[in-house]
Amino acid sequence: MTQEIRRIREDGNLPRKGYWYLLTGLVIGILFGLIISWVIAPVKYVDTVPSSLRSDFKNEFRSQIASAYYSTNNLARAKARLDLLGDPDPIQALTYQAQNLLDIGDPTNTAFLLAFLTSALKQNLGLSLEVPSPGTVPENTSLAPDNTNTASPTRITLTTTSGTPSKLPSNINTPTLRPSNTPSPTPGVPFILKSNKIVCDSPLRSLLLQVEVTNSANQPIPGTEILISWSGDEDRFFTGLKPEISDGYADYLMTPDVVYSIQLVKGGMVVSNLTAPSCSIEGGITNWGSINLVFQQP
Amino acid sequence: MNRWLKFFLMILIGLALGMVYGWMVSPVEYLDTTPSTLRYDYRTDYVLMIAEIFDSSQDANQAVRQLAQLSSDPPVEIVIQSLAYGSQIGYASEDLVLIQNLATSLQIWQPDPGGLTP
Repeated sequence: MTQEIRRIREDGNLPRKGYWYLLTGLVIGILFGLIISWVIAPVKYVDTVPSSLRSDFKNEFRSQIASAYYSTNNLARAKARLDLLGDPDPIQALTYQAQNLLDIGDPTNTAFLLAFLTSALKQNLGLSLEVPSPGTVPENTSLAPDNTNTASPTRITLTTTSGTPSKLPSNINTPTLRPSNTPSPTPGVPFILKSNKIVCDSPLRSLLLQVEVTNSANQPIPGTEILISWSGDEDRFFTGLKPEISDGYADYLMTPDVVYSIQLVKGGMVVSNLTAPSCSIEGGITNWGSINLVFQQP
Repeated sequence: MNRWLKFFLMILIGLALGMVYGWMVSPVEYLDTTPSTLRYDYRTDYVLMIAEIFDSSQDANQAVRQLAQLSSDPPVEIVIQSLAYGSQIGYASEDLVLIQNLATSLQIWQPDPGGLTP
């Protein structure tokens, strides 16, 4: 029997090592293929989109958008640019970035710009773009190129909600936004302290120095810079970063037993001797409250 | 068929399978890209943003710093390239003017002796 098998092998009818050599060749080939496609000549993305940017570059991009909006007041363009970043909630992304900047001292002084854009977006959230009537804008009128990987810009229609505008040449009939109704302070009129309350049953966290800023019509004013100082140190924060509470709301986390003074940078009285209130003491543990200050223009 | 021939044939088949997988099924994904890799229309809009900011700030150092994210080319060249591209794809004249103004300012811009400061 053994001699028979040996004879068949020698005749070449039965491979000595089966078909493993074929599998070996296949594996070697696949390995070379992967090395070529992943290492030697990987797919190169030279024409990337803003949504693929690294997070820090996305932050930079948002800051640029906010700065450009502050310069041009072109909200439609700012919104289109924000859409390019692919944030699920652009307002939240702006707010989060502004808060992070404030947490680290806002070295680039862009928190205000981000808050300014956030407020404008929130104010216009319910407004729709005024689409010109049929006939005034031809089909596929350019607002911006689409998001395809073609080098040449393509067009999107104004009426569709799908498609991400990628760039904003505005030689075309740019949609006109209805006038924004963003509340703004009356220039030159200092703010007065309307109320100063200790809050012990705040649904929010304790130890907060809560500031609300309104204009003479009692409308909240976003983007108001507040200077807070204590023991030779100071910090700044802005209203409008917690729009879920109020556009004119801002808060600062106090440290117990530290005495603070605050003032609105736009002008107004200095409120001093502010310290975290003790609401109750239970079992030797102090339950700290918050302070709520309301500033209003007369 | 010769065993070696079959062996190399399988290598070629594997090579093809590996490249198809690596290039088409699961290509290298660049999720954390930089502004320098942006498509040209996005880059041009980025330059327009910088021009809009410059229009109000007149801060050439800031503009240069921002432009440096797009390319290592001289800032004025980046702006001029964007100006040409913007003209080509039909940017509004007022936008082109903004970019042109930035280019003009950068042509006479001199870096601070102490380097760019934020």
